[in-house]
Amino acid sequence: MSNTDITQEELAAWADGEISGARALFIKAAVANDSGLQAQVEAHRALKDRLSAHFAPIAEQPVPDRLADLLRPKDAEVVDFAAAKTRLEEKRRLPRWSWIAGPALAASLALAVFLPRTGDDVPGDPYAGTQLAAALDTQLVADQDASADTRILLSFQNNGGEFCRAYAGSEAGGIACRDDTGWRIETMGSGSETGRTEFRQAGAAQIMAAAQDMAAGDALDADAEAAAREAGWQAD
Amino acid sequence: MDETSVASRLIHTKARTLKISFEEQVLDLLPRMRRFAAGLTGHPADGDDLCQMTIERVLTSQDKWQEGTRLDSWMYRIMRNLWIDETRSRSRRSQTFVAEDAGLGIGGEGAQEATVELSNVDRAMQKLPEDQREAVLLVMVEGYAYKEAAEIVGCPVGTLNSRLVRGRDALMAMLEDAA
Repeated sequence: MSNTDITQEELAAWADGEISGARALFIKAAVANDSGLQAQVEAHRALKDRLSAHFAPIAEQPVPDRLADLLRPKDAEVVDFAAAKTRLEEKRRLPRWSWIAGPALAASLALAVFLPRTGDDVPGDPYAGTQLAAALDTQLVADQDASADTRILLSFQNNGGEFCRAYAGSEAGGIACRDDTGWRIETMGSGSETGRTEFRQAGAAQIMAAAQDMAAGDALDADAEAAAREAGWQAD
Repeated sequence: MDETSVASRLIHTKARTLKISFEEQVLDLLPRMRRFAAGLTGHPADGDDLCQMTIERVLTSQDKWQEGTRLDSWMYRIMRNLWIDETRSRSRRSQTFVAEDAGLGIGGEGAQEATVELSNVDRAMQKLPEDQREAVLLVMVEGYAYKEAAEIVGCPVGTLNSRLVRGRDALMAMLEDAA
């Protein structure tokens, strides 16, 4: 076997520590005895060093907030619902409706809100349609299909003891509470011309904020949610 | 409490703890993700846009990540696929993305000589075909083993090896000319 059997690919792989065993020893010996191969290996390593050094500063920079924020606060509140609620109550600065009109609202998101019903100023049907109602009736947070059109974010009881469920779909989300007639939609957000990702990001956070305001206690855990479904979402 | 509800409680609790650590893990990987994104796109600002898209995709598909497998490889694969989609739609729109001589300077400020030399690397990288550039980045910058890089890209190890060598040779030739 001669040195010419060593291909460029194999030499590169050897230089990168990808080859082991007898073949590695053979290449090592060949490189040691061939200045041409040596030069190739050195060039390979020199380029690797140069590229590593070139891109290293980016990984050493602090991550911009706009990226880190996607992973920090909002979702943590979603997870730790009770703590978020406490925090919210402790330092609530704004009346409950102001986030809807407030400038902090993502400009791309059109939100319509149906606050406690007065009966005459609610445009459209305040009750969930068949498809949404089916999702609200059957899906549990713990075991819902990840690809479901509508995902239930959480369930809770409002001050009146009704079971309410916050949900998010690809184009709209909101909060619906079960009364004798059906699932009454209390709060609804809808994506406008933006993509679904933007909606999920901005819209779901707003819905969670509204849920925190409406809830009488903690979100239902998996057992309580299953029990509520069993009871047809009828409060005692 | 019957068995089913115990199981469902466990799943629920697990999902909650997982979710917290998942986002922290993603956060920890962000500096590396930004480096890879800057290399793929050729520009730090475009790289951060690609990072943002990747994070959003990662968060919405986190249930597709299998715990016990490498999160970094999974995220690199998502980023790489998003970038391929993006370059395809860019080339359909007739490619006016980054002018070749636009100030790239990924390395940021530095001595005049350093800036020039950094730009040469950026320019040379941008001239590589996508498949060679990603192979070079994954192995020579991100430090992945060939097998891991091949899995991220979705090609056989031998193909990855040969793309790496072709990309490397093209880079060396361009950098020699530029020197």
